[in-house]
Amino acid sequence: MEATGGQIAKETLELAFQISNMLETGLDRHTLSLLIALIDRGINPEPLSAVVRELSSPPSRTQPPSAFSSSAKP
Amino acid sequence: MDDTATVDLVRELVLRLLSSGGRSSTASNNSDAAVRYALRLLSSRMSPSVIPDELSLVESIKRRLAVSGRSSSALGFADLHSKLSARAPLLNRWALLYLLNSLSLDRHRPESSPAPGLPFLPLHLPHPPRTSASSIAGGMAGGGVFLVAKDPENIREIALREYADLFMEDNEVSESALVRDVLYACQGIDGRYVRFDRSTDGYDMPESLKVPKPTRSIVRRLCELGWLFRKVRGYISEGIVDRQFDIGTVGQAFCSSLQDELVDYYKLLTVLTSQSANPIPSAGSDSGGGAGNYLSLRRLAVWLAEPTVRMRLMAVLVDVCGELRGGAMAGAIHSHAQHGNPLVQEFMGRLLRRVCSPLFEMVRIWVLEGELEDVFAEFFILSQPVKAESLWREGYQIQSSMLPSFISPLLAQRILRTGKSINFLRVCCEDNGWVEASGEAVAHVGATTQRGGLGYGDTNALEALVVEAAKRIDRHLMDVIHKRYRFKDHCLAIKRYLLLGQGDFVKYLMDIVGPELSEPANTISSFQLAGLLETAIRASNAQYDDREILDRLKVRMMEHGDGDRGWDVFSLEYDARVPLDTVFTALNMKRYLKIFNFLWKLKRVEHALTGLWKTVKPNYINSCIFANESFGVKMQFVSVLRRLQVLWNEMNHFVTNFQYYIMFEVLEVSWAHFSDGMNSSKDLDDLLAAHDKYLYSILEKSLLGEGSQSINKTLFVLFDHILRFRSLADRWFEHIHELQHRRNKSKSKSKGELGKVGSLIDGGRKALLQFSRDFFGKMSEELDKVAKEYSAALHDFISQLPLQQHIDLKFLLFRLDFTEYYSRVSSNK
Repeated sequence: MEATGGQIAKETLELAFQISNMLETGLDRHTLSLLIALIDRGINPEPLSAVVRELSSPPSRTQPPSAFSSSAKP
Repeated sequence: MDDTATVDLVRELVLRLLSSGGRSSTASNNSDAAVRYALRLLSSRMSPSVIPDELSLVESIKRRLAVSGRSSSALGFADLHSKLSARAPLLNRWALLYLLNSLSLDRHRPESSPAPGLPFLPLHLPHPPRTSASSIAGGMAGGGVFLVAKDPENIREIALREYADLFMEDNEVSESALVRDVLYACQGIDGRYVRFDRSTDGYDMPESLKVPKPTRSIVRRLCELGWLFRKVRGYISEGIVDRQFDIGTVGQAFCSSLQDELVDYYKLLTVLTSQSANPIPSAGSDSGGGAGNYLSLRRLAVWLAEPTVRMRLMAVLVDVCGELRGGAMAGAIHSHAQHGNPLVQEFMGRLLRRVCSPLFEMVRIWVLEGELEDVFAEFFILSQPVKAESLWREGYQIQSSMLPSFISPLLAQRILRTGKSINFLRVCCEDNGWVEASGEAVAHVGATTQRGGLGYGDTNALEALVVEAAKRIDRHLMDVIHKRYRFKDHCLAIKRYLLLGQGDFVKYLMDIVGPELSEPANTISSFQLAGLLETAIRASNAQYDDREILDRLKVRMMEHGDGDRGWDVFSLEYDARVPLDTVFTALNMKRYLKIFNFLWKLKRVEHALTGLWKTVKPNYINSCIFANESFGVKMQFVSVLRRLQVLWNEMNHFVTNFQYYIMFEVLEVSWAHFSDGMNSSKDLDDLLAAHDKYLYSILEKSLLGEGSQSINKTLFVLFDHILRFRSLADRWFEHIHELQHRRNKSKSKSKGELGKVGSLIDGGRKALLQFSRDFFGKMSEELDKVAKEYSAALHDFISQLPLQQHIDLKFLLFRLDFTEYYSRVSSNK
C-alpha cells in the first residue's frame, strides 16, 4: 500500500502541477507540493494564497519588511 | 497554529518563496519575521468564509478560461480535474483549486488597479467579523463565487437587517408559537392563541391579536384540518363509547378502521411537534445550512396537505354514515369509493375491506350453513318465525334497505334462496345431506370455510361461491323432493283423483254414490261415503295404486245449508303433508277443490245424459210401445219421442264437446306443460312457479277464473236445464211404461174374458186416446218449453264465449259451433 500511496501522491502532484500551469500561477513543483501538504493539514486556502502572494511578489512593495516586523510583534 | 510539522512546512514554504522571489538570500531574522508573519496570517482565519463548493468553482474557472479566449485550456482543465477526482478522492480539491485560482487571478490582475485588501491585511489582523466580511467582499471581488461577491458596499445586508426589525415589530406572536398552536388545533386541543369558536364552528385567533393578515389566513386554512379531525373523532367516540349497542358490527368495524387511520395521523403530528421545537430562523439571518429541520407555517402547510385530503374524506364518510347502519352504511361508503384518484381509491379500499368484513361473513355463513347471525339487524335477510308449511314462502325475506349497493338484487335473490333451501331441508325434510353439498361448493370455488375468507373487492369470489353453493344445494333439494318425497307421484295422484283422470274409478264412484247424493245433504253420513269410496277404489284399477297415496284420498263434506242436495256438498280431498304442503298450500288445495266441483258436476251431467239415452234410444223396445194402439196415439208418441231424441242429441253434442275440451285441451295440455316445467326447474322457487302456472291455466281455461264469472253462471244454468230435462224425461217414460203396462195387463185381461169386458175395451180405447192426447200434448208442451229454454241458454253461452280472453276458448267455440249453426240462428233472430 505504501508504494501505491506514493504512486498516487506522485500522480496527484503531477496533475496539480499541470493544472497550475494551465492557470499560469507560476508555481513550481516543490512549492506546490508544500502547498498541497499544508492544505491537507487543514489550512484555509484563503490566507495561504495571501501568504504566497505576499512573499512571492517582487520587492517593489511599498511596505518594507522592517515596517511590519515592528507591528508584527504582539 | 497547531503542531510543529505544520510550522516546519510553513517555514520551508516561506524560505522557498523568498528565495524564488528573486531576492538575495535573506538574513535569518528576515525569514523568521516572514515566517512569523505568515503564521499570523494563516491563523487569522481558520475556516473558509465561502462555501466550499467544488463544482461551482470548477465551473467558474472554466468560464474564466473560455471567456479569456483559451477554450482549449478550459477543456484540458476539465479533463485534468476529472482525472484528479478519480485519482485522489481524499484530497481537499476545493482548497487546492481555490488556491491555484486565486494565485492565477492575482498574477493576471493588472498592477495599476489597487488591491485595497491586500496591504490592509497585516494591519487588520485582529478585527471583528463584521468588517472582515466587508473586506472579504472587497478582496474576493473577482474570485468569490457566492453570496456577498456582488456587494461591495453591503447594501443588501443593511436592507435585510432593516426588514428583520420591521418584521419583529409587526408580529406580536412569534411564528413558532403559532406553529405549536396550529399543531394543537390539529389534535383538537385549544392552544394559547388559536381556539375553537363554537359560534362560528371553526378554529380562529381572537381579533385582538396583532398578527398580519397573511399569517391569519394561513392559520385559518391549516385549522380546517383541526375541524375535520374534531368531527371524525366525535363520531368515533360516539360510536364506540356511547352508542355501542346501536351501531352494529358494521359501524364498529368502520369506527375501528377510522381509528387506525388516525394512528398514522398522530404519528405524523408527533414528528411535526418534535420538529417545531427547532428555532425558526428569523427573516434577516442566514439560512445557511445546519440549522436543523425547523417548522414554519408554510412548511407546516406543505406537510399537512396530504393528511388534510384524507381527513376530509373521512369527514365526508362520517357525514354520510351519520344515521345509517349495516348494509346501508356499507352501500353508502361504497358509492363514495368510485373515485379516480389512486390515493383515494387505496384509502377507500382499505376502509371498505374492514367495514364489509362482518357483512361478508354473514353472507358466507348464511350461504353455507343457513344460519343467520344477525344481532343488530344489519343483514339484508330477515327471518320471521312461521309454521313449517309456510317456511319457504314467508320465512325469510330480503330487506332491501339494508342491501349494499355492490351486491346486485339478482345475487341477493340467489343468496336468499340458498339459505332458505338449507333451512327448508333442515326443518321440513329433516335432511342433512346439504352439508356435503356446501362443503363441495366451497372446495370447488377454492374459498375457505373459515372466517375472513372473503373480503370487499372480492365480489366476484363471493358471487362464484354463492352460485356454486346455490347450484349444489338446489340440486340436492330437488333430489330430496323428487326422490324421497315423490313429488311427481303425488302430483299425478292428485290429477288422477281430484281432477277425475282415472275414468273407471270416477264412473264406479258416481254409480255407487249417485243415489246417496240425491238425498238432502244433512241426512248423508260421511262414513258411509268413505266406505263407498273404498268400494269404488277396489272396484277399479285404482286398487293397484300405491297404498300411501290411496291413504291420502278422503271424502269431504262441505258446509251445507238447507235444501242442499248431496251433490252440492260432496268432494274429495288429498292430504299433502310436510314438506309437500309448501307446494300444496291451503290456497292451492282450495283451488283444486273448486276444479273438482266443477268437473264433478260436469261428470254428473254427462252421467245423467248417458243414463237417459238408455231409455230414449230408438231401439226395438221403444218402437214396441203403443205398437198395437191406434195410429193417432202412436203417431203422437213417435213424434214426441223424435223431438225428445233431437233435443237429447243437441244436449249431448254440447256436453260431449265441452267435456272433451276440458279433459284434453285443458287438463292434459296443462299437465304436459307442468311436467316439462317440473323436469326443468332447478330449484324450489321454479317448481312453485310452475305449479302455480299449471293451476292458474286450468282455472282460466275452464271458465272458473274471475274474469269468467258471468259465463260460468250461464254454464251452470245450462247444466241445470239438462238435469231437469233428464228428470222430466225419466218421469215421462215412467208414465208411458206404466201406461203400457196397464194397457198390456188390461189387454191380457180383456183377452181372457172376451164377451164381458168388451165395453171396457171400447171404453178403454177412447179413454186411452183421450188420455194419451192429453198426456202427449202436455208432454210436447213441456218439451217445447225445455227446448226453448235450453237453446236460449246455449245461445247465451255461445255468444259470451268469444268475449273470453283466453285463446283456447276459441277452440271450444269452434268445437261447439263449427258449422256456425248457432251463430246463424242467432243472427237470423
